[in-house]
Amino acid sequence: MKKQLIIAFIAFTGLATSLIAQAQTAATVKVSGEVTTPLSLSLSDLHQYTQTTVVRKDKDGKDHTYSGVILADILQKAGVIMNRESLTKYLLVNASDGYEIIFALAELDKSFTDRAIILADTVDGKPLPQGDGPFRIIVQDEKKPARCIKQVTSLKVLFAK
Amino acid sequence: MLYNCDRLKNSRKNCFKFLPYRWNKPVIVLVVLGFSVLISAWTYYREAIPTGTYQFIYPANFGNRINVPDDNPTTKQGVYLGRMLFYEPRLSANNTISCGNCHQQQFAFTDNRPFSAGADGVETTRNSMSLANLLWARKFFWDGRAASLEEQAAIPLTNPHEMGQSLATSAKKLSTEPQYPPLFKAVYGDDTITGERICKAIAQFERTLISANSRYDQYLRKAYQPTAGELKGMELFNTGPQPEKGIRGANCAHCHGGVKTYLELFHNNGLDSIPKDNGIGALTGLPGDRGRFKVPTLRNIALTAPYMHDGRFKTLDEVLDHYSDHVVQSESLSTVFRGESNEVGGKTLKLSPQEKKEIIAFLNMLTDKDFITNPGFSDPNIRASKK
Ligand code: HEC
Ligand code: HEC
Repeated sequence: MKKQLIIAFIAFTGLATSLIAQAQTAATVKVSGEVTTPLSLSLSDLHQYTQTTVVRKDKDGKDHTYSGVILADILQKAGVIMNRESLTKYLLVNASDGYEIIFALAELDKSFTDRAIILADTVDGKPLPQGDGPFRIIVQDEKKPARCIKQVTSLKVLFAK
Repeated sequence: MLYNCDRLKNSRKNCFKFLPYRWNKPVIVLVVLGFSVLISAWTYYREAIPTGTYQFIYPANFGNRINVPDDNPTTKQGVYLGRMLFYEPRLSANNTISCGNCHQQQFAFTDNRPFSAGADGVETTRNSMSLANLLWARKFFWDGRAASLEEQAAIPLTNPHEMGQSLATSAKKLSTEPQYPPLFKAVYGDDTITGERICKAIAQFERTLISANSRYDQYLRKAYQPTAGELKGMELFNTGPQPEKGIRGANCAHCHGGVKTYLELFHNNGLDSIPKDNGIGALTGLPGDRGRFKVPTLRNIALTAPYMHDGRFKTLDEVLDHYSDHVVQSESLSTVFRGESNEVGGKTLKLSPQEKKEIIAFLNMLTDKDFITNPGFSDPNIRASKK
């Protein structure tokens, strides 16, 4: 009886701690708005998508290699169709510190531009540092880093009213 | 006695008590005066209520990204009602507390206490916040948990440690006060009083609390020439330190920047390594959000002591000492503070005593006297009894 209790106790605390651990680490990016399938992407979800790398200079003046998923691919998974109507749509990107930026959908469309815009999760082969990650947008060749928004928590497709 | 008669809220009864008394000269004077008080109180409520669309007036550099929900357009009558409700103690469980207790105009709508006692005498767990330029805000409270002023207002109204009364009870109590049903009718088309309508009117009033005439605003429109110290402080405030290049700075503007000194950001500014209050972290459960709080506006900051979400700093000197020398490292500390210093290889900002004074001189430029004396923001009941 005692033994069973102990086992139950261990199982319980194990379960509890794993639950707590999960609650603490499950950072996700929500994809919502004018989409047919809203998504909530974890790191492992993101790793199922085709990975693309972008090289960009950082504050330190050196080139760094970021890897992640092309934003247009994520939007496609969420059911966003690029058509004439999408010329008046935009993507609002929010970070956990409240910072927000937008892209016009056409800026993300491969038939408009070769410039890659990715949702990155690694830099030089390592996870993004605390304070930048787990998810950061990297815009290829953009002069200012202001739209390389860090700690991304949500992507929302909206109409320009 | 005359004094009392004038001052007492229910002046009616107290003044009439004199009538059956001796009918001599001083009493007649009293009676006449009593009547005039009565009549002015009456005309106060009867005073034609302003109606029509409320026009927000603010400088162009504040930008037009204002936040007014489609289902609660701001009207003059709505603002009028909202102001009365903001200062209405009947909205609290024991008729003693209104929003105006914890949000006093003279202190830029704070209360100069670390924590505030609610209707049940229990203190709030966080420091009261200044209510200025909320027209542009989208997330409310220290942890940004309310998405609109309408939603926000319901929380202090019903929280037992604030005003502690259900919205239904509040609506019922107001229905029995003669002045309210006609006002609700003027605002909403019929005289039904509901919790939702109470919150909407309060939100309309709060949107009018615009602070835009500090010496900093005057400087920006070239109507004020700052002192040398103020200018130096402003420069430090707006500059990031680069010791290799000999550039000194405090980089406050990174988070508190812009003409409104408010950017709607949420950060951990290094108060604790293990915060007692996790702020946003308590909502998301993410370690990176621990101890993250709203970066509050610095408008009227000289008037809103004590400082931070728990009111731990009594003076701006203590705040500057914190940023200069005592920022605590942790997992969720904002990256802005990591390795940012005026000394090569320094761990914290390391401002000189002189620089701290200059930054405080700049912060004092953010005090807006018009804001704290604007009669349109004050308690309307005080105005009525003073008449
Ligand atoms: C007992 C004191 C108390 C009373 C009464 C009170 N408040 Fe507050 N108020 C606070 C405190 C404390 C906070 C911060 C609470 C938090 O972040 O959890 C706050 C925050 C706010 C904010 C958020 C400001 C911002 O910049 O995010 C608004 C708006 C506000 N109060 C409006 C009101 C209104 C309207 C009423 C009346 C219906 C009211 N308050 C009554 C103490 C009070
Ligand atoms: C990384 C962003 C960030 C930077 C940079 C920053 N602050 Fe803050 N500041 C905050 C946050 C977040 C709070 C609220 C923290 C809390 O209460 O837990 C705050 C609070 C304050 C307060 C108290 C406000 C109140 O109403 O209680 C003052 C004053 C202040 N900061 C001044 C400064 C000055 C001066 C500088 C530059 C030396 C500065 N801040 C730099 C984020 C920042």
